[in-house]
Amino acid sequence: MVIYLIIGIIVLIALWAISTYNFFVSSKTRVKASVQEIGNQLKRQIDLIPNLEESVKGYLKHEKDIFDKLTDARKAVSAAVKSGDLQKMADAGTKFASVLPGLTIAVEDNPELKGSEVVTNLMNELRDTADKVMYARRLVIDLTADYNVRRATFPSNLIAQMLNLEELPGLITPEKGEFLEVKELETKKPQIKLN
Amino acid sequence: MVNVYEAVSANKTKSYFIVASFFVFVALVVYVLSQAFSYYLGYQPGGLGFLGLALTVSGLMSLGGYYFSDKVVLGLSGARLADRKKDFTFYTVVENLCIGTGLSKPKLYVINDSAPNAFATGRDPEHAAICATTGLLDKLSRTELEGVLAHELSHVKNYDTRLMAIVAVLVGMVALLGDWFLRMSWGGRRSSDDNKGVGGIFLVLGLVFAILSPFIAQLIQLAVSRRREFMADAGSVSITKQPDGLISALTKISQDNEPLEVANKATAHLYIINPFKEKGHGAVSWFANLFNTHPPIEERIKALKSMV
Repeated sequence: MVIYLIIGIIVLIALWAISTYNFFVSSKTRVKASVQEIGNQLKRQIDLIPNLEESVKGYLKHEKDIFDKLTDARKAVSAAVKSGDLQKMADAGTKFASVLPGLTIAVEDNPELKGSEVVTNLMNELRDTADKVMYARRLVIDLTADYNVRRATFPSNLIAQMLNLEELPGLITPEKGEFLEVKELETKKPQIKLN
Repeated sequence: MVNVYEAVSANKTKSYFIVASFFVFVALVVYVLSQAFSYYLGYQPGGLGFLGLALTVSGLMSLGGYYFSDKVVLGLSGARLADRKKDFTFYTVVENLCIGTGLSKPKLYVINDSAPNAFATGRDPEHAAICATTGLLDKLSRTELEGVLAHELSHVKNYDTRLMAIVAVLVGMVALLGDWFLRMSWGGRRSSDDNKGVGGIFLVLGLVFAILSPFIAQLIQLAVSRRREFMADAGSVSITKQPDGLISALTKISQDNEPLEVANKATAHLYIINPFKEKGHGAVSWFANLFNTHPPIEERIKALKSMV
């Protein structure tokens, strides 16, 4: 009877050890995949933006500033993707969001733009593509956080120590500065007031 | 003040507790009723006996609902598939939330109803579907919609449909057992009248349990449902990191007085807020709350506001 009990406990511990080991191994793979997803979303941006630029050209020809910003953002993203540097890639993705405030002002100034489906579409797509990159980054952050918490907390840290697992860096972000500030505009859907 | 991770894990613990007490309760009811049955009928059926029978009947009834729940519910609600062009915000917000959570994108449906509401269904994340009314899509901003849809996606991620299906099977089983017990021909044949004592106690207990337990089981079922709502709210914040979106969405939805025409009692627990909008105050509302699938909006907003 006692022997069965002991065997039962050993089996339970073994099962737990296996699932913990699998968690660590699969987490590492998932983090890698989620980093690639950021690149994937940025490539999508690069394809998307020229099409959008093309479609609004006629409407926004006086707003050279906005076009310059769009082009700059696109170039930054292209360069970042080419460099393959995770940090640069992660930063470049949110650049498109910075075009939005200017666009909103342009729409306010030019009543004929209000309600134009093409411009609304541009604004929606810009917000969407910036969100996509943001969520792709979030997945990297969440997955690494899960991994690091399990790596540091008892009892899963025993397995982590046995395997000599390193803490995953995740996304390295500046500790202070503009990056941490959320601007009023970024929390809202771009609104176009109809007359 | 709790941070969102603490909120999520506290909700998980409470949810485990409620679910565990539910299973203990069901086991107790089943034990007492089957003892009473066997005393009354004068023999002990082999194997699982009456429990097995009740479990099979109730299980079969719910299995269909479990496997086809998405199709049944969507069929009942008269939903159409969402389209990226027509429902741009709805479609892309869910797409983005799925990128953020690593879940596969559920099927998206739109119900043509001006009452703002949304629900999730499907037995696992691969077969999940999220459904929103046109009222919801029209009235909420993108940030608010993100909060609501992240709430629904949390239901999917937490396997809430599966849990509620299992709970429904057990509630059904308890109800069946109680019903059978009460329908037995009481004046009829008795095992042996001189065999009183322990068996007699079970007979009395069985009677009490048969009357009360279906009701109690349902109350616990509703408590599970409410706890899962809190959990999905916390889950929503942990996905979007913006409680404000969900708070203002809940406020907007609760101020809207239009009832959802396509909802019924069976699908009520799936929605973001109770589609029937029962309202009350003070002691009355506390009592009414026991019979509600959703916690009161004010309590949900309070919980959300305490998360930073």
